[in-house]
Amino acid sequence: MNDLLIKLAKIDRRYIFLFVAIAVIIPLLFPLNFPTRATPHTKAVFDIIDQIPPDNNPILISFDYGPSTMPECHPMAYAILRHAFSRKVRAIGVTLASDAAGLGEEAMRNVAREYGREYGRDYAFLGFKPGGSAVILSIGEDIKKTFPQDFYGKPTAEIPMLTEVKNYNQISLVIPLTGSATATAWIIYAGTRYHARVADGVTAVMAAELYPYLQTKQLSGLLAGLKGASEYEHLVKEAGYSEGARRASRGMDALSTMHLVIIAFIILGNIGFFLSRRSAKKGERT
Amino acid sequence: MKRRLPLLICLFSGLFFAIQFFIPHQEVRLLYADGLRWLIVVYTFAIVLAVGSLIAHHLRKLHRQAKGWGYSLVTLAALLGMIVIGSLTGIRPGSLFNKLFLNVQVPMQATMFGILAFYIASAAYRAFRARSNEATLLLLAAFLLMLSAVSFMSYFFPRITTVAEWLLMVPSMAAQRGILFGVFLGTLATSIKIILGIERGWMGGGR
Repeated sequence: MNDLLIKLAKIDRRYIFLFVAIAVIIPLLFPLNFPTRATPHTKAVFDIIDQIPPDNNPILISFDYGPSTMPECHPMAYAILRHAFSRKVRAIGVTLASDAAGLGEEAMRNVAREYGREYGRDYAFLGFKPGGSAVILSIGEDIKKTFPQDFYGKPTAEIPMLTEVKNYNQISLVIPLTGSATATAWIIYAGTRYHARVADGVTAVMAAELYPYLQTKQLSGLLAGLKGASEYEHLVKEAGYSEGARRASRGMDALSTMHLVIIAFIILGNIGFFLSRRSAKKGERT
Repeated sequence: MKRRLPLLICLFSGLFFAIQFFIPHQEVRLLYADGLRWLIVVYTFAIVLAVGSLIAHHLRKLHRQAKGWGYSLVTLAALLGMIVIGSLTGIRPGSLFNKLFLNVQVPMQATMFGILAFYIASAAYRAFRARSNEATLLLLAAFLLMLSAVSFMSYFFPRITTVAEWLLMVPSMAAQRGILFGVFLGTLATSIKIILGIERGWMGGGR
């Protein structure tokens, strides 16, 4: 038995790959529907959007993620948009990442269709603008001058929902969805410089970096990775706003089983490690 | 003059963007807003420069038939192909450009990122061993955070989430804050050196 455990401590990584693949594929094919409970940071984002009166100041979503971080950030976009559109909260979409324009446009268009929201009246997608922090600062001065045209080439001055929006003062909440440093740029430039209310949706690996901003209240809420997205979906469903496809929850099932597999391997690896160390010490004594 | 002009532009624009923050006059704000739009134009030119540099680099590799020149060919073909298709068909939903983006680039990049899961699993298995006291602390912290990331754990054992949250809100944040102070003080010092022309690496061309 001991020998087997010692061998397990040095298992070929291809077996690990095989177990990980099984742990990911099975829940994707047969959803397990694990229960979940939202963290206070996810709930904070939900509560802010839930308290925005219908047809009032819009939220601004910055789709700052590309295809590589899409599995974590795209479900966040869908969940937030479903929540907003079901409550008739208007939304403006922008992106600071060149490869995110197609993804942001697709998310806004699909969810708007689900809820019968009209382009120009209930939502607008302004597309990509290079410049990073310069764009964030420029929106603080005048969003229509920063984006003279929307994604489709229509002058933003002619978009009805933007007539009353000049800068962050007329925006209820700024939500960057990203896997990059733009998460911090929005907090520093839109939040601190222009006093905009900011809540981030980031990849799980980035979340720890943003906790200092949560404590100082520079960040009003945080969706951390796929788990944050699935918690948000759960809140939206629980409140009865949407029964739409819960892509994050499905992904979260796979992620949870994968975490359990990794935890099991770590435990086995450590047992094997201790046994091999003990047998080595015994060998030294004899 | 060739060196002095960029240094002077850097000095005046750097000082202006720092000082304008303290002058809430309408004219200064208008100038500031214009300056921000110029910045966006400069960034746009930087993209043109980057694409030009990418093309020149891969053309050189192709010309010399350097190791891996086949990849350069694929890169150039994909880049030029997407530019031509985007120019001809537009980038709106339903266009060929958009279809190629959603059905080729998105799955390819997502797959590349997805492969990381396998390597992370293998690396975690090998790295998280209780070899020393420090390694044991790291192992315990990672163990708790991974458990809290399992969705039903937070449902059935909310205390695990509480402990994981404490780890993130107290020890991890203390370290993060220290790093942030260091990073931003470094950024401030480097910015002052660039504005005053002490640090000239951004001008290129060595000394």
